[in-house]
Formats: sequence, C-alpha cells, structure tokens
Amino acid sequence: MTGMWRHELRLFLRQRLALPTLLLTALLSIASVWAGMAEIARQHDTIARIQPQQAADVAAIAKWVSKEGDAGNAAYYTFHATWDSPSPLAFAAIGQRDVAPYILRVRALGLEAQLYESENYNAELALPGRFDWAFVLTYLAPLFVIVLLHDLKSGEREAGRMGLLAAMARNERALWRRRIAWRLGFLLAALLVPFLIAAVLSGAGALNIALFTLVTIAYLLFWTALCLWIGSHGWSSVTNAATLAASWLVLTLILPALANLAINAAIPVRQGVELTLEQREKIHGGWDRPRAETMQAFFKAHPEWRDTEIPADGFSWKWYHAFQHLGDLAAAPQAKAYRAGLEARDDWSARAGTVLPAVGVQVVLHRLAQTDLKEGLAYQDRVREYHEQLRRFYYSYIFNEAPFKETDFEKAPKWNVG
Amino acid sequence: MNAIRLIAADEWRLMRRNRVAMLGLAMLLALSTIAALTSIAQRDNSDAIRARFQAQADQAFDGAPARHPHRMVHYGHFVFRPLPALAAFDSGVDSFTGNTIYLEGHRQNSANFGDVRQSSLLVRFGQLTPAFVLQALAPLILIFIGFGIVARERERGTIRQLFAHGVTIRRLLIGKTLGLGGIAALMLAPAALALGWLVAAESAPLMPSLMLLGGYAAYLAIWVLLIIIASSLAAHARTALMALIGIWALTVILLPRIAPDVALATNPTLTRLETDIAIQEDLRRMGDSHNPEDPFFTAFKERTLKQYGVEKIEDLPLNYGGLLAVEGEKLTSKLFDDYADRQFAAQRAQSGLKDAVGLISPTIALRRLSMSASGTDLEGHRRFLAQAEAYRFAIVQQLNQLQATKVTYSDDRNRNKDPEAAKRVRIDPENWKAVPDFRYQAPSSAEKIRTALPGLLILLGWLAVLGLGMRLAARRLEATA
Repeated sequence: MTGMWRHELRLFLRQRLALPTLLLTALLSIASVWAGMAEIARQHDTIARIQPQQAADVAAIAKWVSKEGDAGNAAYYTFHATWDSPSPLAFAAIGQRDVAPYILRVRALGLEAQLYESENYNAELALPGRFDWAFVLTYLAPLFVIVLLHDLKSGEREAGRMGLLAAMARNERALWRRRIAWRLGFLLAALLVPFLIAAVLSGAGALNIALFTLVTIAYLLFWTALCLWIGSHGWSSVTNAATLAASWLVLTLILPALANLAINAAIPVRQGVELTLEQREKIHGGWDRPRAETMQAFFKAHPEWRDTEIPADGFSWKWYHAFQHLGDLAAAPQAKAYRAGLEARDDWSARAGTVLPAVGVQVVLHRLAQTDLKEGLAYQDRVREYHEQLRRFYYSYIFNEAPFKETDFEKAPKWNVG
Repeated sequence: MNAIRLIAADEWRLMRRNRVAMLGLAMLLALSTIAALTSIAQRDNSDAIRARFQAQADQAFDGAPARHPHRMVHYGHFVFRPLPALAAFDSGVDSFTGNTIYLEGHRQNSANFGDVRQSSLLVRFGQLTPAFVLQALAPLILIFIGFGIVARERERGTIRQLFAHGVTIRRLLIGKTLGLGGIAALMLAPAALALGWLVAAESAPLMPSLMLLGGYAAYLAIWVLLIIIASSLAAHARTALMALIGIWALTVILLPRIAPDVALATNPTLTRLETDIAIQEDLRRMGDSHNPEDPFFTAFKERTLKQYGVEKIEDLPLNYGGLLAVEGEKLTSKLFDDYADRQFAAQRAQSGLKDAVGLISPTIALRRLSMSASGTDLEGHRRFLAQAEAYRFAIVQQLNQLQATKVTYSDDRNRNKDPEAAKRVRIDPENWKAVPDFRYQAPSSAEKIRTALPGLLILLGWLAVLGLGMRLAARRLEATA
C-alpha cells in the first residue's frame, strides 16, 4: 500500500505545475504571516509607547490642577487612555483593526461625542484590504486548489492514459483518492505550517488554533469537491480551468460584493450622525435650561447625590457634569439604534456566510481572531464601562466638594487590560 | 485591411458560439449595469443625506439662542463632506474616511462615521462600483474569452492554413487584437453610458470624465495585448490560461495588497492619541495659560496694554478675555496645522510608494488615475480636512472677536456672581447668523487631471512596452507556427 502512495507522490511532484504551485503557496503563506505578525507587533509597540506619554501628560496636568485642587479641573482636563490589545490570532486576520481605532482617550465628560472618534490612517492604503493569512486562504488558496485539481482526470484523458489507468488500478477510486490526498495534503501543509508556527509563537489557545485549522480544511475541501464535480463532466482541462476560475470569481468577488450592497442598502445606519447632533444640542442646551430641571433629571439617574447643594446661579461643576451626562442619556436611544443597525449588518453578513464559503471563512476567522465589527463594539462597551467608572470617581470629589490632590490622580480607575 | 477585418469578424463569430465566453460577457455586462445603477442611486442618496445634515447643522447654529460667545465656541459646528458626482463611478476612499467633523474651539476632532466601520467585513471584499467591475472583473473575463485566441489556432494547426491563404502574421495579430478589443469596448460600454449620464444629468465635470474613459480604455487595451501576447507565446492554450490568471491574481489582487504593507512599514505615522498628547505638550511649552506668571501670556498682556496705551486690563477698550482667546486659538491652530502637515506629508510619501508599485501593476496605476479623476482620492479628503480646519479657525476667531468687542471685561469677570452681568454676556443671536456657512471647495478639473496624470502615464508606458511585446510575439509565432 505504502508503495502505491509513494509512487503517486513521485508522479505528482513530477508534474510541471505541482512544485511551483506548492512553493508559491508556502511563500505567500509565510509572507502573509510575517506581514501580519509585523503589523500586530507594531500595534503592540504603539500600545506600549503611549503609556509613558500618557503618564507624562497626566503628570503635567496634575502639577497645575493640584495647586488649586479643583476636582472639576481634574475631570475636565485629564484624558484617560484605553486600548484594545490584539488577540494572539489577530496576526492571521487583521480585519477591522487597521481602520477602527484600537487606542482611544476619553475624559469624564459626555461620552457619545468621544466614542466614535476615528484614527489617522491612510485610507488609500486600507482600501485594497490587508495582505494577511486570512486573505491568502480565502482568495488565493482556492486558485491553487484549482491549479492542482482542474485536470486530475481530464489531464489523464488528454494524455491518453485513462484507459490504461482504469485497467491497471486494482481499485480505481482508491487511486484517485490517493492523488487527491497528496495534492490536498501538500497544499494544506504549505498553507498551515507557517500559520501554526506563528500561532504557537503568539501564544494562541489550542482550541482556537484547532478551529482555524478545521475551517481551513473545510474550505479547501469545498473547493476540492467543486473541482471534482466540475471535472466529472468529462470536459477538457481548459474548459475545467475556465469554469472553475469563473466560479471562483463569482464566489469570492461578485457575490460577496452584491451581498454587501444589499445588506447596506437594506439596513441604513444614519443614527451615528443623528446621535452626535442630538447629544450636542442637549449638552449645550444645558447652559440655557433652568438649573433645577437639569439637576432633577440628573438625580433620577444618580440618586446618591440627591442631597448635594447646588448654587442658584454662577458656574458649578456639579451642574456642568449633570448636563454632560444628560446629553449622553438623551442620545442613548439613537446610540442603541445605531448599534442595533451595526449588529444587524454583521448578523446578515454571517448569514451570507452560511451560503458563501468565502464569506463564511472570513466571518469565522475574524471572529476567532477577535478583529471583526463585534470586537469593535465590545471594545466600545468596555470603554463605556470604564467611562462610567471615571465619572463616578470624579463625581465623588465634585459632589462631595473634596479637594483633588496630586496623589488623587493616581487613584483614578485604571483601564483594565482584560 | 480586408484580411484583418475578416479575422476580427471570424473571432466574434466563434465567440458567439462559445457558451462560456458569452456567459462571462453577459454576466459582466449585467454586473456593470447593476453597479452603475446602484452606485448612482447610492451616491445621490448619500450626498442628499449629507446635504440635509449640513442644512440641519447650519440651522442649529444660526438658530442658537442668546449665549456667551465662548459658549458658541464650544457649541461648535458640524461640517459634512459633499460627495462628488463621479463618486458614483469610483467611490474611492469615501467609505474609508469619515464624512463629518465636529468643529469646536481648542480641539481638532477627527472625521467620523466612515462606512467601513459601519459595515461588516463584507465591505473588504470590494464595493460594487463600475470602477471595481472594470478594474478587477473585466480583465478576468477577457482572459476567459481570449486565452486561446492564438494558441487555439496553433494547437489545431489552422494557423498554417491561414498563412497558406496569404495572411501575414502582422495582420493575424492585428485582426485578433481588434476582435478581442471589440469585446473589451463592449465591456466598457455600460460604464461609458454611466459616465455620460453623470456628465449630462448630474453635472459631473467633462474633462475628468473623459480622462476616466481614456484611462479605463487604456487599461483594458493593456489586458487585450497581454492576452494576445501570452496566447501567442504559450505552447498550449492551457498554459496561456494559467499564466494569464497568474498575472491577473498578482497584479489585480496581490500587489495592491502588498504595496500598502511596504508603504506603511517605511513611513510610520503618529496615531491620533500621540498627536493629541504631543500638541498638548507643545502648548504647555509655548505658554501655560493656567499659570498667571507664564512668560508668554505676560508678554502678550504687556504688548496689548502698550498697543492701546493703557496701564490696566480694565482700561482696555476691548474685552481682554476675548483677545486672550484669539491669541490662544492662534497658538493651538498653528500646532494643528503643523501636525496635520507632517501627517499629510507622511501619508503622501506612503501613497507615493504605493503608486510606484503601479509600475509593475497597471491596476494600481489605474486606481490612482480613477480615484483622482473622480475626486475620491485621499488628496480630496485632505482638502476637506484642511478646509474644515480653516473654517473652524475662522468661525472660532469670529466668535472670539465677538467676545472681545460685544462683551465687556467686567461683565465677563462678574458673570458668575452678578445675574445682570450674566444676562448681558449673552449677546444677540443675530450674531450667529452673521457667521458664514461652510462651503466645501472641490478641486478644479485641472487639479483632478494633474493628480490623475501619473497614473495615465504609467498606463501609456505599459501600452508602449506591450506594443514592443507584440513584435516579439509575432517573431516567436513566425518561428514556431
């Protein structure tokens, strides 16, 4: 048995397109893994780099604020850094991490005006999409499967060996199985080995690595099945190749683009702009509304400060923070609707992924790598939570009219890296 | 001449019988039409929404109640980037850049709500616009239709019959080129119609539209020549097919993704957060407005007092608080401009590096041409950012001037103690109406053409090189046929 496997291996490697295709696959896989690791290393570096800068910024503010010890100034001027560290598998599927900010500074004022800030990135470079391992798998691997399998039978037929093969093989099915196994096995190895090495080096969990691998195998099996099905019609190698490449075009480029078009048209999300406009009216209207009205509404959300004294006129930080928070509360319905719209878009994409293999692979890989829209929203949730902690922290000084000393700056809630 | 026409006509006759070719062509034309229709509708819709939001923001600003001018500085303004008509042809980076900025005093906010962050990962598969169809899909369909155009004749030996009938190799290749070129022209038709519609009905600028048409025609011509050459040089039709798909995957899919990685690695830029911190630090170094003995602000005070020939701030004919606000805004705005310039320069260097890869990938060169002529390139977004910042500075200073002239120094100082002063510092809301609205100045046609030109030159260079390649192919064909 092993002799026949070895024999097939020799035949396979002697094929003109076999070795170059495998080498190219391995090369692209290595390059994409390397590029992805470099990008993620850059992101880690950036997160590390901002820490001392941030600390120096806070120290400079602490220096002058602590002279008067006004907690209002501390809350107004101090920004707090948050960041979303890449997951161990992010290198393989960078996803939205190049267009959505993974570091964001917030202060204890109205959050909705701060939460949707974008990063300075070169949009022309982001436009074509990243060259990462998920890209190599989703777009290029199917082409390599096609190169290796489009003439599996038609090639033999065209070379006039088909009859001979059928007559000589004890078990014809086993013969084709061996040939397919070698081709697929080598291709998988070329793709997966660089990924696996990098994944282990990055400290990814075994379960996630296993799922990545399973998805990869399933995706290549789909393309193998398609190749075999097209090849079973008895067409020429050329027709097989053209038909398969056309299928690839439809499945990986055209249908996903159409799906995107349909989803974005069916679920418009305009609430982002609406909510910022709304929040700003509410916050700045705060200066003009009767103070008692503002405080009443605020105390409903924060009854613990119900008994604090508010001056009847003149500026007061308590009042200022009250209408800042009311701005967020006023924008909350739109913020919720906005988020629901984004989640609906994401859910429909996942549904598209159940019929379009390329989309399905992208959805699963980016979910596992935590680089998709959902992760962006989860990061926003964490920022919301953190912002709440910050507000409560500063409120305790402002509403208690406690002085804010230099040491108090260190007591501010820290961004939790969990 | 007659033989050439016959060969081209024969090619079309064959293609009509080739079901795969016809299917591919029909699919491309259908997609092109769908892309054009949806893209035009989407552009109109987005632009209308932005115009509506802009009107809403203008109205909110003009209708603001009586306030202290500094309240209005913080109330700020929203500006929206209009979407040029040709974005319906190539939406470029529009979905990747935010289209609205919140403008306020002392701060420079980012452009937010770009579509890419509001979409799932699907958006990274490419957006279906006429530009995308022609850039990525048309070449592949041309390959499917044409890979065997010469190789097939050679495989079957029919090429020798043609020569026997006195057809020269030159005429054969020209005829084949015309045949495949005719198909390419047909592929271009829906996009050309869409461009015509945009020019006629949506007042898209004519010259950039013609440049787009010329650029895409040159791009498809490049692929026609590549296909003819590969089909002439390859020993078998299948080899030609494989080689052409390889070239397509490399130049259309792979290189445009690898080029940005190289550009990013060689020209790193500061993140927003770092820029923010750096600006704050520079500001502290220049002058600390929170420190009453700060040399910068003391010097400013001395200067101002001297200018008006008075001894005390209270004696100034203008509100010192307003003058200080004007001076402070000058400082911050200068820093914003400096950092933005540096950021823009780094981004231009990145884009330049990426464009250089266009020398080996016509698709990258075409994208430069296409986005720039359509007005949807990063340069267009930078224009918007720069104009928004200039507008921010102008309105903030106008409001600061109002504080200096319409609010007295003593009222300003006592507004928190004296309810009457608090009333007086809220100036007439008619003043807000006098603040001009934001009007985005789109680049002129000449500017668009100038930025698009390098792309066109690279494409023409490719055509010239492939013209030489045709000669080589003819010679090879002569030797082997």
